[in-house]
Amino acid sequence: MQQERTVSPADPFPMVVVEHLVKQFGSFNALSDINLKVAKGEKIVLCGPSGSGKSTLIRCINHIEKHDSGRIVVDGIELTDRMRDINTIRCEVGMVFQSFNLFPHLSVAENCMLAPMKVRGLAQSEARDRAMVLLRKVRIHDQAKKYPAQLSGGQQQRVAIARALCMQPKIMLFDEPTSALDPEMVKEVLETIVDLAQDGMTMVCVTHEMGFAREVADRVVFMDRGSIVEEGDPSTFFRAPNTERARAFLNQIIH
Amino acid sequence: MNGLDFSIVVQAWPYLWSGLLFSLSLTAAAFLVGMFLGTLFALVQHFELRILSQLVRSYVALMRSIPLILVLFWFFFLVPVILGHLSGNGRPIPVGATYTAFITFGLFEAAYYSEIIRVGLRAVNKGQFEACQALALSTFDTYHHVVLPQVFRVASPIILSQTIILFQDTSLVYVLSLTDLLGAASKLAQLNGRLVEMYLAVAVVYLAISSTASQFVASLRKKYAIAGARR
Repeated sequence: MQQERTVSPADPFPMVVVEHLVKQFGSFNALSDINLKVAKGEKIVLCGPSGSGKSTLIRCINHIEKHDSGRIVVDGIELTDRMRDINTIRCEVGMVFQSFNLFPHLSVAENCMLAPMKVRGLAQSEARDRAMVLLRKVRIHDQAKKYPAQLSGGQQQRVAIARALCMQPKIMLFDEPTSALDPEMVKEVLETIVDLAQDGMTMVCVTHEMGFAREVADRVVFMDRGSIVEEGDPSTFFRAPNTERARAFLNQIIH
Repeated sequence: MNGLDFSIVVQAWPYLWSGLLFSLSLTAAAFLVGMFLGTLFALVQHFELRILSQLVRSYVALMRSIPLILVLFWFFFLVPVILGHLSGNGRPIPVGATYTAFITFGLFEAAYYSEIIRVGLRAVNKGQFEACQALALSTFDTYHHVVLPQVFRVASPIILSQTIILFQDTSLVYVLSLTDLLGAASKLAQLNGRLVEMYLAVAVVYLAISSTASQFVASLRKKYAIAGARR
């Protein structure tokens, strides 16, 4: 699929700006001096070996991990320690986790309605309508009354995507959204994310699904040992990576 | 003794009934107070609120390491003295046996419930908290709508088991000369000499109530299994 390039890294109003980001776990440097700009509408795929800091990076963007130094600016708001800024940013940033993290005691619809009601202040009927629209979008509206444990992994992950979308975020973060799924369910989840990408959603996705990266990514960012080692458009990156580390990584995941 | 005569139990029923009502209301009150305080205590420890959490930990450890009957004595004899000192004239202010029983049971059970809930809180998957953060839910909403409902669900069988024990423990109020179900039976048995019938009858009542509650626990457990704990 040919993506039209409407964005460039030189966009004066990027959706996310990460500058000189450092994150340490004890004496371990999880992230060292990360610089990354995500333009509005841009789709970025983050890849790299395990422990390279890709998950940590996106978890810093919505402050699930607190960064040690550097700047993070999301849609013009700088991420500080103030709860107000953190919550404003979290409202604009949707996140999908590897292990879904649906609320097991709430039905599918209730999972989607909770935050819009409590955080955005929607009335129950509005929240329900919005939930149904988005559950329909991820093609799972017929399961709205079921509980998460009654659904397959792929269905649960699609509910998790709908739940994040119900907050009407401006950017979506995906943390290995298909890694916990059985192989036959990967496709349905990826298709859902592709649909979302085609709607123009800004997204940063940590994934090793190279077919997916080729199809949707505007840019592939390769990380290793807490640093961004290489970035480029997917076709170049996958065909002819510049660095030895990226080559070694690609050799390992493409058998 | 020539044969058992249970008509004596039927005659004594109104008195036994009032004893049973006392046992049940003490259980219910101690359950409500204990769960409320217990949840609070558990949350204080969960949030690791500096001094408060240390205090709560000591309180829970103390309550769990001494027999309930001793706590009852303490409250009955000590609290009036303390109140007297506080009021200034130094003369003990009696609290009354009934109040003593309700307050003691509530405070005592709070320690046990808080341990159950504290463990339950630790069992909630880290991902649940992260999902709440990602959705910008406030700490209050996170605990109110996501974390505590799951804790109560997971812990409900243990909470109910503890409550059945509590119901049986209410018989200890005899040391305060209060009349619960067992106390009523005991007093009547002393009067009419029909110890076997009276004690058999109350045993049946305890059995019926406790086993019904256990059945309820079992059915809850089953229901929870269907709802699924896959997270």
